[in-house]
Amino acid sequence: MGRRSFLRTSAVVTTGLVALAASLKPLLEMNDFPTMERFLQKYYKEMTPQDMAKVLQRIEDEVEKQYGLRPHVRDLKPLEGVEFVYCLNLTRCIGCRKCVHACVAENNESRDPEIQYIRVLRLPDGSLDIDKADHFYAPESVPEKGYFYMPVQCQQCKNPPCVKVCPVHATWQEADGITVVDYDWCIGCRYCEAACPYWARRFNFTKPSIPKERLNPDMAYLGNRPRRQGVMEKCHFCIQRTRAGRYPACLEVCPAGARKFGNILDPNSEVSYILKNKRVFIQLKEELGTAPRFFYYFDV
Amino acid sequence: MMRGVRNYFVFLRRCADVALVGDWRYYAWLGGLAVICLLGLNAYCRQFAQGLVVTGMSDEVSWGVYIANFTFLVGVAAAAVMMVIPVYIYKNEDLHDLVIFGELLAVAAILMCLAFVTVDLGRPDRFWHLIPGIGQFNFPRSMLSWDVIVLNGYLLLNVHICGYLLYCRYRKSKPGKWFYLPFVFIAIVWAVSIHTVTAFLYVGLGGRPFWNSSIVGPRFLASAFTAGPALIILAMQVVRRVTSSPSPGLETPGAGGASWPPSQGRAATLEDFALLCRHLPEMALVPVEVRQSVLPMAEVLEARRGETLLRQGETEDRAFFILRGSVVVKRQEGGRYRITRTAGPGEQFGEISALKATARTASAMAEEPSLVLSLPAEALRRLMKCPPVNKIVRSRMSERLVITDRALMTLRSIVQVSMLINVFLLLNEVFKEFYSGNLHVVSSKYLFVGLGNHHALVPWIWTAIAFNLVAMVLLVLPVSRSLKWLNLTCVLCIVGIWIEKGMGLVVPGFIPTPLGEMMEYRPSLNETLVCFGIWSFGLLCYTIFLRMSVPILQGRLSKENEAAPSPSAAAAAAAGG
Repeated sequence: MGRRSFLRTSAVVTTGLVALAASLKPLLEMNDFPTMERFLQKYYKEMTPQDMAKVLQRIEDEVEKQYGLRPHVRDLKPLEGVEFVYCLNLTRCIGCRKCVHACVAENNESRDPEIQYIRVLRLPDGSLDIDKADHFYAPESVPEKGYFYMPVQCQQCKNPPCVKVCPVHATWQEADGITVVDYDWCIGCRYCEAACPYWARRFNFTKPSIPKERLNPDMAYLGNRPRRQGVMEKCHFCIQRTRAGRYPACLEVCPAGARKFGNILDPNSEVSYILKNKRVFIQLKEELGTAPRFFYYFDV
Repeated sequence: MMRGVRNYFVFLRRCADVALVGDWRYYAWLGGLAVICLLGLNAYCRQFAQGLVVTGMSDEVSWGVYIANFTFLVGVAAAAVMMVIPVYIYKNEDLHDLVIFGELLAVAAILMCLAFVTVDLGRPDRFWHLIPGIGQFNFPRSMLSWDVIVLNGYLLLNVHICGYLLYCRYRKSKPGKWFYLPFVFIAIVWAVSIHTVTAFLYVGLGGRPFWNSSIVGPRFLASAFTAGPALIILAMQVVRRVTSSPSPGLETPGAGGASWPPSQGRAATLEDFALLCRHLPEMALVPVEVRQSVLPMAEVLEARRGETLLRQGETEDRAFFILRGSVVVKRQEGGRYRITRTAGPGEQFGEISALKATARTASAMAEEPSLVLSLPAEALRRLMKCPPVNKIVRSRMSERLVITDRALMTLRSIVQVSMLINVFLLLNEVFKEFYSGNLHVVSSKYLFVGLGNHHALVPWIWTAIAFNLVAMVLLVLPVSRSLKWLNLTCVLCIVGIWIEKGMGLVVPGFIPTPLGEMMEYRPSLNETLVCFGIWSFGLLCYTIFLRMSVPILQGRLSKENEAAPSPSAAAAAAAGG
């Protein structure tokens, strides 16, 4: 190679490398570069109890470092002989959205950008046509004359389309009927979000932010532990509460008593009573064959 | 074994050499594409760091231009099969030389598809969760897992077929049928499957009535077989243009007329045959009586450099074998000259028109002082009665690079039929949606006429429909037999289908949301830059693939000239400077 062509080649190569380095520059602002440990973390169902203990420990450390508060993260398993069912009384719901806010607080949902698992729809009396729903109603006071309200959240389908489409098994249905997400396994393709007929899934388009003082330190691995950028999340019937014998946060806060929750396998539970005795109840978009575990009913 | 590997690496190195050599226009093209690629990479790094928030996507419209482009490009990749079927099933001679270009386009398109799905991921760092064996692969339940398999499988199939055929051509050896034909037939079925599976990604979602329609699969195929061959028509003309030169070259000044007809030869002797046998061992298997019987008909010519041995358009029945030196075969197309092949000692030229008694389809000139054996068709037929000779001569007949207008017209008729079917299927869909008028029509209403204040897609879809209809009319009219009109038609097809199938299919499926919320989508600047980056990357790949394969198909880059002092210079000359 002659001197001139050598000089020319090296000039081209240098320019190329400088341009490449310049275009990679935004990576320096990266706030959430995965560590090797997180990169290699195993799939939830393949972790041994020892693996899980280590991971929970690590998550607690990470949360403490970020929020200055030591959380208690548990891996709660489904209870024997339990299948959860939710019933919502449309006659009683007044559309106050207290459930939405309780859910956000309980489940450490991002405040900026806002992520909410429950969407309350306002519908004109006499119609269940969802295309007529108003999502952003903001009257002086609720309820309003001529309207009824329908809160929609994950319907915990028996036949969940989101689980079917996930290419990596990052979301699945547990024995107690709750469809969960392994936030550390999700690749963020958002196919489940496209598949869900209830628009119940939310994606972390950027790093979620929660004020330190608002963090709920009672956490579950498959539940309300803080999520990372680029993964899906959704309502999990407050797994950290319901698997420990408590009611979901949305139910507890409801001032109208419109929300009922319990074990359908227990014939004496409130939900068993409602499904046996209330004559009118609907499963949203029943025709899709998703078989929701979420029932809307009316007092008649 | 080691030798084989070494040879293969020499082949790859020489291909790389060829890809990096060209004139200033070539460098400007590559440089421009590289700059856009880097801009795209920069935009992607920003997205990687900050998340998909830098795109226009939201929880309401959770897929956008990335998936739209992905869907379109899967179609382009699948369309390569429309070149393969006519050639391998119907033995279409016109398209024969273009098959490899179609398959290389498929490879480039699949690379772009993979890039588009990767940039759409929220956690690309977790890609390994998708790898069967180490990750958790939801096969066969998730259609996305099917897509991962079919896309990567199609990539491997096409890389294998192109790579194998090109390497054989480079070595001037006959490709082993069992090494590629089974894969060609698998690839035909596979091509249909990649697009069907991609359609099923959408069709399988019961909660999205706009997509949950069985016509989406057929529509995808029809539009793919329109846009893909249209793209190939344009690409082939670019290849034809950049590999040709305004003058036939090699002719010494003022000798244009003098070099034709070629100087008289002398009678051939058995020694000349012996020389031929050294380069073409199959000839030695011809019985001596036969050789002697053709001897009186044969002639040996001493050709000077630049001497024309046969001329395009003439009809005469002689075929030639090269004994020494090399001959370049050039074809005049639209006033420009392009090398269709180069032949060295032991190889033949002019045999096709001699055997068929048709006009010469190209001219042949000696590239250096050469010794050539000239035979009438009758003599060649006698020699070819010997099966090994027949086999080698026939196998070499296909070693050329011809991009005829007839081939482009064959592609035109594919585009024509597909476009008619495409528009017909679109009408079916529109009729079903609007005439029945049930609640499910709302996404279509949003797309075609807008809903209330929301009508971002309306101008786009009507542009697409106008383009498709104009293209359809042009394709049906004889006017599109002229290349100028055909090119315009192809551009209309490609743009129309890109809009209809990309933005017109992916985005309205999300609007309104399953809960009836209206939220529109517009790609952000960052997202657009990423798209441009990936398109440039694809074009860069395709340019380089063509740059490597054209000289191989022309015979300029072969194992025989490995020892030549500057392979890159030779290739650059081959590519037309």
